[in-house]
Amino acid sequence: MLLEVRDLHVEFHTRDGVAKAVNGVSYGVDAGETLAVLGESGSGKSVTAQTVMGILDVPPGRITSGEILFEGRDLLKLKEEERRKVRGAEMAMIFQDALSSLNPVLTVGAQLAEMFTVHRGMSRKDAQAKAVELMDRVRIPAARERVKQYPHQFSGGMRQRIMIAMAMALEPKLIIADEPTTALDVTVQAQVMDLLAELQRELNMGLILITHDLGVVADVADKIAVMYAGRIVETAPVHDIYKAPAHPYTRGLLDSIPRLDQKGQELYAIKGLPPNLTRIPPGCAFHPRCPMAQDVCRTDVPPLYEVTESDAERGSACHFWRECLHG
Amino acid sequence: MPEQEPYEPERAIAGTGMGGTMDLGTSEAVTLEQPPGPDGADPREKPRSLWSDAWHDLRRNPVFIISALVILFLVVISLWPSLIASGNPLKCDLAKAQEGSQPGHPFGFNGQGCDVYTRTVYGARTSVAVGILATLGVAVLGSVLGGLAGFFGGGGDAVLSRITDIFFAIPVVLGGLVLLSVITSNTIWPVIGFIVLLGWPQISRIARGSVITAKQNDYVQAARALGASNSRLLLRHIAPNAIAPVIVVATIALGTYISLEATLSFLGVGLKPPSVSWGIDISSAAPYVRNAPHALLWPSGALALTVLAFIMLGDAVRDALDPKLR
Repeated sequence: MLLEVRDLHVEFHTRDGVAKAVNGVSYGVDAGETLAVLGESGSGKSVTAQTVMGILDVPPGRITSGEILFEGRDLLKLKEEERRKVRGAEMAMIFQDALSSLNPVLTVGAQLAEMFTVHRGMSRKDAQAKAVELMDRVRIPAARERVKQYPHQFSGGMRQRIMIAMAMALEPKLIIADEPTTALDVTVQAQVMDLLAELQRELNMGLILITHDLGVVADVADKIAVMYAGRIVETAPVHDIYKAPAHPYTRGLLDSIPRLDQKGQELYAIKGLPPNLTRIPPGCAFHPRCPMAQDVCRTDVPPLYEVTESDAERGSACHFWRECLHG
Repeated sequence: MPEQEPYEPERAIAGTGMGGTMDLGTSEAVTLEQPPGPDGADPREKPRSLWSDAWHDLRRNPVFIISALVILFLVVISLWPSLIASGNPLKCDLAKAQEGSQPGHPFGFNGQGCDVYTRTVYGARTSVAVGILATLGVAVLGSVLGGLAGFFGGGGDAVLSRITDIFFAIPVVLGGLVLLSVITSNTIWPVIGFIVLLGWPQISRIARGSVITAKQNDYVQAARALGASNSRLLLRHIAPNAIAPVIVVATIALGTYISLEATLSFLGVGLKPPSVSWGIDISSAAPYVRNAPHALLWPSGALALTVLAFIMLGDAVRDALDPKLR
């Protein structure tokens, strides 16, 4: 396994108390594999990713327990200086909004070249040539001229390509993409996703795709981890989950996708709001919103049950996963 | 008149600002299939950095041009006062005390019989030197301390913030009277040191604030995620995006430091005779203002003009660096 997160707990100390953002998340990605992490805002998907990257702001954040094994070594035990050398070179991150993720006062070429001067100690001239090469690789037209331009002179899709180029620059083994297409036009979304998937295949990288867009996930992901209130509630290969979800929350998410054959009907929505992370409900965190909730859900926290009726490796943190799977 | 509009290169260039980049967004699907066409990069659109953009704005601003010319003139005469004043500011003839304007002595003489014109010209040197050196000291000390406090936060930041609060509570003139009256050296350095000591908290606060703002930008987080070290984040990604307010406030403060030096010299704790300073001349001319107003008016006028020039320059720079304020 390229990356393995084991029982990670992260909390934030705020004025309202301790917000438990991540409560025992475990997941893994292999080289060449794509894991989609799905969940609403505040489900802990981005915090988990930031912790893996080592860019969590500490304080207010605090990693209380867990392990992050990258090629076998625990990143949480590394010194900050060693950790920094891992970032960019061995794992990289792509952010949601490419305009705000690029420095407005530096040319895109300077920012791309920086990857090579900082990590590889290349000369400025060589690094600049590499920057042009990278821009060509992510198919930015007229790269040689545009390398001298500033981020605001590029369109949204082009900027995200530049972000991808920066992340790919040193051919890392793992890429974390935090909602990489959310800020883009629908027409451009698919192109950017395709580019990402293609580069991933070429370099045989592990990819963690954080998103709340089930449509994006279906095309590119191998497996899915659904998060709710800082926990993984369901994990499964991508096609199994679409066929038959084993958790009522996943079912709710799938039912709330607008569909062409339901034109004119009211769109389904999961009732209620995601829980306040300083006061997570006892028992199953989803029980106040769950149509299947029973008494046991209010008292007992469901472990991640193995979904035995499936051929593939599946898990569901629901006491009634059987009923859900067949319901 | 032909029906077709004539081609206007001016308008074509202006149109490539926002429009040019937005076109790319919609034509992306096309450019993907095609080899890089001429529409990929617009050769007419020359990339401009924040600084060249600000310079472009400044050059068109009459306030900037006037104040910059005044300041340039002041700097030149403080470096080479003999260019426009041939006399010696310390050569005085009591027989001519309080005499008015006469050939060769356009501003007349002061109470000691010194040539007011020569002294006013030589006085610029003190003011400009104190202003520039004190501002440099304040800007360097304030932005380094404030920048580090803003970037690292934590205990150091809390301590620094309380220290700046304490400094803000010190009345400048009173502090000058107390601190400078014990110093006997008659050079500009004690005055500069005093201004730096009391001035750095102002810049430190601004630098801290703008570093905290810049630190929260996504591109700083992104750069960190791609392996940038703290020093690189601070120097390359945060500083260029946080320095503008420091430059603006420092430019405006330069004018006030010049008047502060004059105030301290007027009170007798800044520079003392035989140094030449507008503050000293204003102080010595003040008692005789009824008999010889010219001896007071020329150094006062020069001081006011200098301070005004720097404050106007600061305003123009602020407009150029932060277009949102307009």
